[in-house]
Formats: sequence, structure tokens, C-alpha cells
Amino acid sequence: MLIALFLFFLPSGYQAPIRGALRSTALRPFLAAQREIVERRVLSVDVAELRARHDSLAAVTAAQATLAEENRRLRALLGLRARAAEHFKSAEVMRLGVPGAESTFLLDIGRADGVEVGSPVLTPEGLLGVVWEVDEHISQAIDWTHPDFRASAMTLDGQVYGLVEPRRGEFREEDLLVLAGAPFHSDIKPGTRIVTSGRGGVYPRGIPLGSVVGIEEADTGWRKSYLVRPAVRPEAASHVLVGIRSDWGGGGDLSNLWPVGGEPDTAAADTGEEADGNRQ
Amino acid sequence: MTASRAWTFWAFIALLVALDFVLHIAIGLGATAPDLLTVALLLGARRLGGAGAAALGLVLGLLRDALSLIAFGAEAVTMTLLGFLGARSRDLFLGEGTLFVAGYLFVGKWLHDVVYFLIAGPAVRGDTVTRLAIEAPIAAAYAAVAGSVAFLVYRLITGER
Repeated sequence: MLIALFLFFLPSGYQAPIRGALRSTALRPFLAAQREIVERRVLSVDVAELRARHDSLAAVTAAQATLAEENRRLRALLGLRARAAEHFKSAEVMRLGVPGAESTFLLDIGRADGVEVGSPVLTPEGLLGVVWEVDEHISQAIDWTHPDFRASAMTLDGQVYGLVEPRRGEFREEDLLVLAGAPFHSDIKPGTRIVTSGRGGVYPRGIPLGSVVGIEEADTGWRKSYLVRPAVRPEAASHVLVGIRSDWGGGGDLSNLWPVGGEPDTAAADTGEEADGNRQ
Repeated sequence: MTASRAWTFWAFIALLVALDFVLHIAIGLGATAPDLLTVALLLGARRLGGAGAAALGLVLGLLRDALSLIAFGAEAVTMTLLGFLGARSRDLFLGEGTLFVAGYLFVGKWLHDVVYFLIAGPAVRGDTVTRLAIEAPIAAAYAAVAGSVAFLVYRLITGER
């Protein structure tokens, strides 16, 4: 009992090696089995999905061959594809069904692939989470619903800065983000897009986090907090990109990797009042 | 208990543990799969002394904690306590019938969820009433049914009464 209590109160820095040792020994066959299952599932899903996409897009691509070619050339000119490929690795998300693993997930890439603690995990919609622990060929990450998730953020136009943190609901589907620490005089309209600011050096600048739906109820009087509808639903993520650069230093700007315009998110603006009503 | 019978019993317990990890880790099922790890501990604890059962609980709890980034050690503490109480329960209750085993597993699993909730604290989602009065009994009933069926099958195969 004393050993168990000792482990429970052990600082998290000392807990990580114990977790890593157990994962790479006793739990290794089960994690390997999950990796295999996920890979097979992805392959089967991909074939059906690709076939459907191929069928539906065949006519469109034939008609817009010129546009596609132009788009390809422009992308090549901007070097976006090369930039993303250089600093990111694709990975599959593996879910865990054990208590205490909520808001976390496994990735089928690890230290050998260049993943490090603090590597951002992205989806085509925006930021999903951050890598928390890394083994040789597998890594464990937290998504934005984890109580310890934080990201330095700003409005897309860079007018308001703050810190994004999770607000947990009764169920995962009710989880929202909150842009905390915004100046009191700020007035962010519902629908305004929130992206990472690059401050702190953990996340590159410009990754979509979500859209503002309204002011949070708890207002300190000195600073404002805004409820943010997340851009990414963790339960829907299966394929992700993992940042493998450690020298972001806040200097990286990934704004151009997402087709996010300056226009507000009208869907978020419409649901803003509804979200406020539910919270009250 | 003869040596061969003891061997088959502990092989059964190991099978339950492996099956739990297959369902919850390899396949990634959450609450849709029964908590066979707790069932294995509760059944094993009835055949061990207090210290041995606590040690078994510590090992099984640590294995489950290996994937916990929210409340590392909470499962180890819970399972250690549960193992010890399971072993001591022989002094209070005697019985090997299917209904007794089902009741024992139900109470044990419910106690597990209550202790885990109290230890893990705010890291666990949901309010106290929902977790302890609604979700925990359902999970306990599920584990009790699954554990009882597994134990019944084990008895049928080995001829143990």
C-alpha cells in the first residue's frame, strides 16, 4: 500500500519513466496488436474512401484540369508542400479504453521518427493536441480536452492575445475551449477565428484552434474570457500530422497551411447565443 | 487445492488479465468491454493472503496506470486496497456459489470505482452522483455478469466445485 501511495504522489517527471518501462515491456504485445489493428483498419477504410473519392471527383478533375495544374504550380512555387513535409510526419491515432487514459491517445510513430515531447499534433482542421511522452516507436499525446492542455493563442488578425485552455462539460461532446486572459477592453465578435500565436515556442504560429462563440460567464472584471468552439473534435481524428521540429522557437508560421480566410465563422456566430444559453 | 488445480486457476486469472488488455488496449474498447482486470483481482484475492493479494493488486494497477496521463498511481492504490479487502473478505463471507461470486464481484467492482473516483478526484469527468450512483453500478453489474460467466465456464472445464 505504501508503494502504491508513493507512486501516486511521485512527481510526474519521475512517473514518466515508470510508465515508459511498463509500456515497452509488459504492455508491448498489446500495443503492437493495436498498432496492427489500426493499420489494417486504415487500409480497408482508405480503399473504400479512395474509390468513392475517385469516382466522384473524376468528372470534376477532368473538367478543371487547367485549374488543377495551376493550383499545383502555385503550391510548388510557395513551397508549402515541401515545408509541411519537412517538419511533419503523418501518423495514425490509436485510442485507449482504460481509465485515466481519457483525453489521451497513442500515435504509431515515436522517437525513431523524430517525435519529441511537446511536438504538436495537427489535423486538416487544426490543432488536436501535443505529444506528452515518447517511446522508440510509439508516443502518447494529450488532446485539447485534457485538463493540462494550454496553448498561447490570438485572434486571426492578431489584435487580441490570450491563453487557450479547456472547459470540460459533463460529456466529451460538451467540451469547449476558452480564450482566457484577453484584455478587458477587447471585444471579440462571435465567429472570430482563434489560432496559435507561436508564443512560448511549443506550437508554431497560425494553427487553427477554433471560433469564438461568446463571452464566458466567469468574468473577473480585469480580463475577459471567451468561449471557443474547437476546430477539431478529438473523437473524429484518425490521421494526424505530428511536428518533428524542436526549434519552432515561436518563429514558425503555419498560417498558410490552412485555408483560413479572414472572414468570421458564421456557423460559430449562429451557435454563440445557443451555447451561452446552455451554459447559463 | 492440488498443485495442478492451482496452476489451472492462475492460468485462468492470467487469461482474464490478458483478455482485459486485448479488449481495452489492443482493440481500444472503453466501457463497452467489462472490467476483467478487476474481476481477475477479486477472484485471485480470494485464494491469496492479504499481503499477496495486495501485491497482485499493485502489479495489476500499475499495468493499467502505465497508460494513464491523468492520475498515475490512482489505479495502483485502488487495486492494492481492493486486493487486500478481497483477501480479508474470506474471514467475513464464505461461499463459492455462482450467485455469491456474482454478488462479490458486483460489490468489489463498485467499491473499485468509488475508491478510484475519490483518489483520482477532479481528473475524472462527471459529477459525483452520476459517476457513483448511475455509471458505477452499471459497470459493476456488467463486470459481475461477465466474471460470473467466465468463472462458471472455468469450473465446467476444470470440474472444480
